[in-house]
Amino acid sequence: MYNVSRTYIKSGMKLFDLIEENPLLLLMMQHFDIDFRVGDLTMSQLCKEKGINEKLFTSIANLYNGFKPKENPIDSVDDVKQIVRFLKNSHDYYRNDKYPQISAYIKQLQENHPEKELKLLEKFFNEYFAEVIDHLYYEDTVAFPYFIELISHKPNNKNNLYSAKEYSEHHTDIELKIKDIKNLLLKYVIINDDLNLRRKLLFSLFELEYDLYIHSLIEETILIPFGYNMERV
Amino acid sequence: MSRHRLHIAIMVHSQIIYEGLHTVLSQSEIDCIICKVDSLDDLADILHSKKVDLLIINPLLLVNREKEARKIRKNHPGLSIVGINLSIVDNHSLALLDSSFTIFDTVEQVLSKLQRIGIDSELKAPSNDDNLTDRELDVLTQLVHGYSNKEIADSLNISIHTVVTHRKNITSKTGIRSQSGLTIYAISKRIISIEDIDLQNH
Repeated sequence: MYNVSRTYIKSGMKLFDLIEENPLLLLMMQHFDIDFRVGDLTMSQLCKEKGINEKLFTSIANLYNGFKPKENPIDSVDDVKQIVRFLKNSHDYYRNDKYPQISAYIKQLQENHPEKELKLLEKFFNEYFAEVIDHLYYEDTVAFPYFIELISHKPNNKNNLYSAKEYSEHHTDIELKIKDIKNLLLKYVIINDDLNLRRKLLFSLFELEYDLYIHSLIEETILIPFGYNMERV
Repeated sequence: MSRHRLHIAIMVHSQIIYEGLHTVLSQSEIDCIICKVDSLDDLADILHSKKVDLLIINPLLLVNREKEARKIRKNHPGLSIVGINLSIVDNHSLALLDSSFTIFDTVEQVLSKLQRIGIDSELKAPSNDDNLTDRELDVLTQLVHGYSNKEIADSLNISIHTVVTHRKNITSKTGIRSQSGLTIYAISKRIISIEDIDLQNH
């Protein structure tokens, strides 16, 4: 799904056209705390209005369209705060919106079809959900505060027990199990009918997988390399 | 999922020619994803994050850009470049191409030229299916019963390394990575029976 060919976004393009092409950009906007009523604004006009670094905003929008950044778009302390806020907002979306929604669909599916496979699937998902909550909590309480500290006062790394390296090692591919569930539902587990519920579940899984993948990319290609650079200074 | 899909970039300034090529390719047998690029710089940006198998380009856009084009070729040896000639093309530009056709060629001629440079050989590769070998089934069965690589190796009388290879193959054939996922797979495919799995402890 992530590989679909889309426009390579540039500053003069209109948000409206881009959203029409890839509605998932709405998710990105929400993570940036930007209202959906974009009118006729171009990328650069919107960034100016919201006080966001245009290079950063365009890089992340391009991630949603399938293009990785060529260079690190972080220019300032504000950019790091912006990214951390973006990542925290996506955590809220996973925790309070997407995972509970998927969990409810799987529960419903299991109730409609008492096969044991679905009981196992529900168990699999719930265990995975618990892992994710732990991971998000770790990022919110350990990793992100470290990056904020890194920019607010030049850290004395010798005394610092935590580092970007440790973060990158702790960093896991939390979207992989979503792939497993998706593959099981599309390829293997036999369920009769119930297409409405199954479609809703699959759409939610795709949406979550997509956002999680971008979430990891932002951490891996923007935040962690920035951390390495700052630590070296 | 889209392992065998062909990624095609088209670089022509004429919208009409772009749309025409898009239509011809989309309606052909070739399983492809098509995108439009405006310049070699754009192409380099795209290649940075995506694999592109084929570039169809108006060779006039290569004039005085030989250096950039050669650099792209060098960095991306898997990329084929085919020219769509709208006029007479100089030899420098032609040298950068694997093949070319003209806007007066028929659809069949265009497609056969693309096939001749082998761009669709990948498409004919057998599609992946999840037929596991007997040995892989043995490993899978033990795996879903919670045995470790070492225990599986000992019981099947093979090395741990071989167990790991089997596990990799199982994952690439089924698309399922985790042990819990493989358990559900094995039940759905009737490789193990549901009664074998203790729901409480698994």
